[in-house]
Amino acid sequence: MDFLSFIGDNLQIFLSYTGFANATWGHLIMIAVGLVFIYLAIAKEFEPMLLIPIGFGILIGNIPFKDAGLQLGIYEEGSVLNILYQGVTSGWYPPLIFLGIGAMTDFSALISNPKLMLIGAAAQFGIFGAYTLALLWGFDPSQAGAIGIIGGADGPTAIFLSSKLAPNLMGAIAVSAYSYMALVPVIQPPIMRLLTNKKERLIRMKPPRVVSQTEKIIFPIVGLLLTCFLVPSGLPLLGMLFFGNLLKESGVTRRLAETARGPLIDVITILLGITVGASTQATQFLTWSSLKIFGLGALSFVIATTAGVLFVKFFNLFLKKDNKINPLIGNAGVSAVPDSARISQIVGLEYDSTNYLLMHAMGPNVAGVIGSAVAAGILLGFLG
Amino acid sequence: MGIDWITLRLRIKPAITTLLLSLLLCTFSSVQAQRTTSLKINEILVINETNFQDDYGVQHPWIEIYNASAGTVNIAGCYLTNDINQPRMYPVPKGDVLTKVKPNQHLLFWADSQPTRGTFHLNFTLDPVGSNFIALFDSDGKTLIDSVTVPAGQVADISYGLVHDGWNAKRLDEELRLNQSYTGGDKLWIPFTQVTPSSNNFILDKNDKVENFRNNDADGVGMTLTAMAVVFAGLISLYLLFKLVGHVAVTLSHRRVMKASGVSKEAAKDITEQSGDIFAAIAMAIYESTELHDVENTVLTIKNTARNYSPWSSKIYTLREMPNKK
Repeated sequence: MDFLSFIGDNLQIFLSYTGFANATWGHLIMIAVGLVFIYLAIAKEFEPMLLIPIGFGILIGNIPFKDAGLQLGIYEEGSVLNILYQGVTSGWYPPLIFLGIGAMTDFSALISNPKLMLIGAAAQFGIFGAYTLALLWGFDPSQAGAIGIIGGADGPTAIFLSSKLAPNLMGAIAVSAYSYMALVPVIQPPIMRLLTNKKERLIRMKPPRVVSQTEKIIFPIVGLLLTCFLVPSGLPLLGMLFFGNLLKESGVTRRLAETARGPLIDVITILLGITVGASTQATQFLTWSSLKIFGLGALSFVIATTAGVLFVKFFNLFLKKDNKINPLIGNAGVSAVPDSARISQIVGLEYDSTNYLLMHAMGPNVAGVIGSAVAAGILLGFLG
Repeated sequence: MGIDWITLRLRIKPAITTLLLSLLLCTFSSVQAQRTTSLKINEILVINETNFQDDYGVQHPWIEIYNASAGTVNIAGCYLTNDINQPRMYPVPKGDVLTKVKPNQHLLFWADSQPTRGTFHLNFTLDPVGSNFIALFDSDGKTLIDSVTVPAGQVADISYGLVHDGWNAKRLDEELRLNQSYTGGDKLWIPFTQVTPSSNNFILDKNDKVENFRNNDADGVGMTLTAMAVVFAGLISLYLLFKLVGHVAVTLSHRRVMKASGVSKEAAKDITEQSGDIFAAIAMAIYESTELHDVENTVLTIKNTARNYSPWSSKIYTLREMPNKK
């Protein structure tokens, strides 16, 4: 009888350690969110490279367990997940992602038509529009800066800046940024249609000229010197972005460029996605602040897209007839490379099946990456 | 003539290597110098009657050093002195882990003239009546890192320190010019009635920058205007520069075509300004007419014939040599 009660007691203790005994409504809600992410990634192919790791990370992070110092959770010092999460909290995953982005980005479209850079600048209104709204909704300036950067539509930048300005909001900001980047095909087209007329949508742009290798080599060097002299706090992101691009364009470091844009960025994407997902533990994540951040994130994308499209229309007032820009590429000023450029192409083809806008849209798209990194540098400089 | 070229190349290579090595050495030495130069004399208590006690339970004058950098600095090997003519008066002993000063942290030296009591006990003391010159020299015993002269007539248990940890005259000037809410006065060194050995001279209880925005820009308009102006300034300068670079590149390419083909400027312009679409169409036409392909029937590959040789990318250098069985 004593032995049986011993077994019974042990089973009860074991049961108290299981996920079933420790589950709360919060955990179940977050698991459902993770499953939705995985569904969107597989069934709808919305940014699967991001949503699969993040979605699965949400599942990992929301397996309920008894807090008994077993070093299991991402917030427990010394746990495996916590060690992997340090790349996010210390902010060294994002610059490595930028290295890979630089090594895979072709800046030719931007170099051949440099005025497209200004669209990338205009779309950064999304960041500061969201900053203003976040202040109105009661966040303090450093939190508002971290939330505003969602409007840059650049996951690594959002993680980098929030890890510096508002580490407690980083999980919500990162998930919000990546979610809306995946939802760019849903958010942007209605705004683009609303703000343009048929005549504007049919504008055919001059084909970009062929860019020489020398120009492509000069771009990352001059780009780094100019932007980082202006905003030194953007150095970790811009430095790596332009370094990766020089590896690609120099033509003599092919192996390094291939590693940066291949295995390295893949490894970091996996680690970043899974740890950001796992950081959304219901106990830390399900708060009113997170809901507000999701609301502000959506608004920031709307403002950024609107600003990009309206800026092109305004810019066209000063351009000659032959040099007009199709406002459908204005949305690409938000980073979200290359999804937002792809949206320009798809919406453009709806109105003229022979008007290919992808190459033109890549210009503001990569300018948006530079612009959002510069904006992050400014926010860090002002509020850090 | 050929031999001359080879000799010249053989001479040039060591010269380039030496140049690169020297540059590398210079970089490292400057990094080292930059690290120790971030040490600052931060606070001094000349007359210690009822204040902080050393590890022997005795009150002595003390000198606080502050690491104003974002990296750990080892003060070992540097020299502290109270005589400009004897810069090597007290060498901070090497081999003590406690001489490493973490970023924005402090280290306290006791001016008790009893160096046998430990690493942080100096071999000189301070004059309670007259003025005291105190200097920190780098490990070469010549480079002055920081110095201060504590005026005569110091009061017991009142220290003499920097108004903010690690500040210099330039930093104070910047604060006076740019921060209208700064209330610390225009003096860099001030007396502290509440002494702060091994801790901050000025306690930060809030982020001044954030407070500044909270008080002066509650609706975020100022931030939006300033930041967007900077974003536009950065990208407009890139735009202007690359407009110029593009213009130069196009002009050079016109010249090359004119020289190679002997055509007029207008004809050269027509040739060089052809877009990638035309080249793609030409490639497609060649494919259609000749059915040239190298891998698959539906793919036309245009390969670059340039050889980017490097021993690092050569497979032969990564292969293990076959064992010699002779």
